Amino acid sequence: MTDTQSRTETDDTAVFDDAQNAELDRGPFQQWAADSIENPERVYRAMFYVAAIFFLFTTLFPFYWLLMVALTPEGQLQDIVFTPNGFNPGAFVEVFQTIPFHWYMFNSFVIALASTVLVLIIGSLAGYAFGRLEFPGKVPLMLLVLVISFFPPAAFFIPLNDLFNTSFFLLEPITGDGTLYNTPGAMVLPLSAIFMPLAIFILTTFYAQIPDGLEDAARVEGTTRLGALFRVIIPLSAPGVATAGVLTFIAVYNEFFFSFLMTDGQPENWAPILEGILAYQGQYEVLYHLMAAASIIGVIPVAILVVIAQEKIVSGLTAGALKE
Amino acid sequence: MARVRLENITKRYGEETAVDGISLEVEDGEFVTFVGPSGCGKSTTMETVAGLTRPTEGRVYIGDDDVTDLAPKDRGVAMVFQNIALFPHMDVYENISFGLRLRKYDDEEVRRRVEQAADIVQLEDMLERMPAEMSGGQQQRVGIARAIVRNPDVFLMDEPLANLDAKLRVHMRTELQRLHRELDATVIYVTHDQAEAMTMSNRIAVLNDGTLQQIAPPLVCYNEPTNLFVAGFIGSPSMNFADGTLTEDGLETNNFTVALDATQVPGVTVGDDVTLGIRPEDVYLTRDADSLAAPTATITARSDVLEPMGDEMFVYLLLSERADSSMEQDPSTSSDQLLMSVSPDTAIEAGQELELVLDRSKIHLFETETSDALVHGVTDLSQRESGTTPTEADS
Repeated sequence: MTDTQSRTETDDTAVFDDAQNAELDRGPFQQWAADSIENPERVYRAMFYVAAIFFLFTTLFPFYWLLMVALTPEGQLQDIVFTPNGFNPGAFVEVFQTIPFHWYMFNSFVIALASTVLVLIIGSLAGYAFGRLEFPGKVPLMLLVLVISFFPPAAFFIPLNDLFNTSFFLLEPITGDGTLYNTPGAMVLPLSAIFMPLAIFILTTFYAQIPDGLEDAARVEGTTRLGALFRVIIPLSAPGVATAGVLTFIAVYNEFFFSFLMTDGQPENWAPILEGILAYQGQYEVLYHLMAAASIIGVIPVAILVVIAQEKIVSGLTAGALKE
Repeated sequence: MARVRLENITKRYGEETAVDGISLEVEDGEFVTFVGPSGCGKSTTMETVAGLTRPTEGRVYIGDDDVTDLAPKDRGVAMVFQNIALFPHMDVYENISFGLRLRKYDDEEVRRRVEQAADIVQLEDMLERMPAEMSGGQQQRVGIARAIVRNPDVFLMDEPLANLDAKLRVHMRTELQRLHRELDATVIYVTHDQAEAMTMSNRIAVLNDGTLQQIAPPLVCYNEPTNLFVAGFIGSPSMNFADGTLTEDGLETNNFTVALDATQVPGVTVGDDVTLGIRPEDVYLTRDADSLAAPTATITARSDVLEPMGDEMFVYLLLSERADSSMEQDPSTSSDQLLMSVSPDTAIEAGQELELVLDRSKIHLFETETSDALVHGVTDLSQRESGTTPTEADS
């Protein structure tokens, strides 16, 4: 009985094998197409890997090349493809010896941090108003904020530059000659304004989701509306605030236009990293390896920030997206 | 502790009037409940006391001070919310002490008062917990502790038990009453649940459509409602109403006549439309009515649906042949139906012809047009009635 059974089974398998062999008669491409039709997930997965590898390559290869350029000793920049032409890690130290690059970094940090704080404070107040209050003209006002964020920065530049070069009596105690040119203010003000709308939108979405009852409870318990914002609404919207803050910080830190034009490029005049990197470019020579090394050093803080905050940023952006 | 006085409070949202000229006074240490259907303005009225909503017109006084323009934090009120509204990012201790810490009490004092408040609501062991780790009842007790810890002049409770399950709600009801007695506090309590209103309050303020209908002790609202709305709203199941006209013989409705001297009814004359109201427990079978001092003439009806509740039984009665037994008809609004409550062992079957009387001392008359109450109890208005109740006719 058992024997018969097993024989039947073997027979069945044999038939199945025949079918398999018939498949083998097709060419490899036909085989692959047949498999894909049967099992589309495999194709999607393959496509995902192709796309992911492509994006990773286009994003990371410049960094790799930057590293290769930085490691190549001065004057040997020809023939760099995948390996440096020589090995000179000392470039990362030279960066600071040639010019006070740390000073430029400090300037950038101060400017980015000040802008972030300014954006978060004003953005929170605006987000509270847009997210939690009813007032006439709310939607048009919000659209106006959005429209302003679409303006090209170049459109503001000439009036702003003119304004920042005008002497103001009131500013004299702070800035000496009374102008904002060559001060952090010349970058913090326009950059905060430009990156404010994004922060307002993120914060509005978050603040709108906090139940009214919590704010009422805080106000009855003894806070003002503003106190309720800072003690209850903001702590509960931490992912949103972190997202808005990190995005603003990175955007300001990376900004080129105003950073390039609002100072004379001297570190003591609050020139940011950008000017530092360009400072390796003299009239007669360009220290490419130092520019590359400085670029890498400049990227590191932002990279660290993103790695630390990425979970919050992702949850922050999607929480907003999932709401509607 | 303090008195609360509302003076002509009106709140409009654009064209909508949520609260329309409410004036009332809550005495020091009194427990007053605002009760009414959804959207009647009871929560809005309370919010004007809390300061969360600014009245369009009118003034709010707490104690002797006009607090209309004060921020909520400066009014000396504490509030318990329907959705509990604990701060989810703070543990129980931080939640309860929130108001004290804002007022910069020293740590020693804060700890002492928090522990005392936690003791009152029996949460001593849970001060380290986060709100998310607690049950609804425990959360609401934290909410109450947060209110009592500041020792406020006035407690405001906005449907604090609405989100709890039925058993817990009854338990918390007694807890709140005990708390009110212990703290001797002025409490304003908002609910749409008239059982809560009846059991807990010193006085009930019945609101409808943004206006105050009646403010009186629970039993006064029950026995002497000022108008049709209060009569129908207070009491469960609600009062039976029958529209009728005043004639020489008395009050004639579609199906029965209650003999009374129309000239004795204040405010109306013969020919006016009058609505009769009678509570289900004041309708009797004629055969059980011996004990009744002043029964009306017999009314015949057919029993329709029986609802045995255990301690009593509700009998839905059809007064005329025209009446159909469709369940959509509410006996409190249809003149052809009547709801009677009898003891559960009464021998009644569905579809049976029954003879009923009403207790004259419990009949309420309302002017149909204005819905205002005319008289509660018509025992003394029965001179003209003859035949069926000779004893009264003689007197």
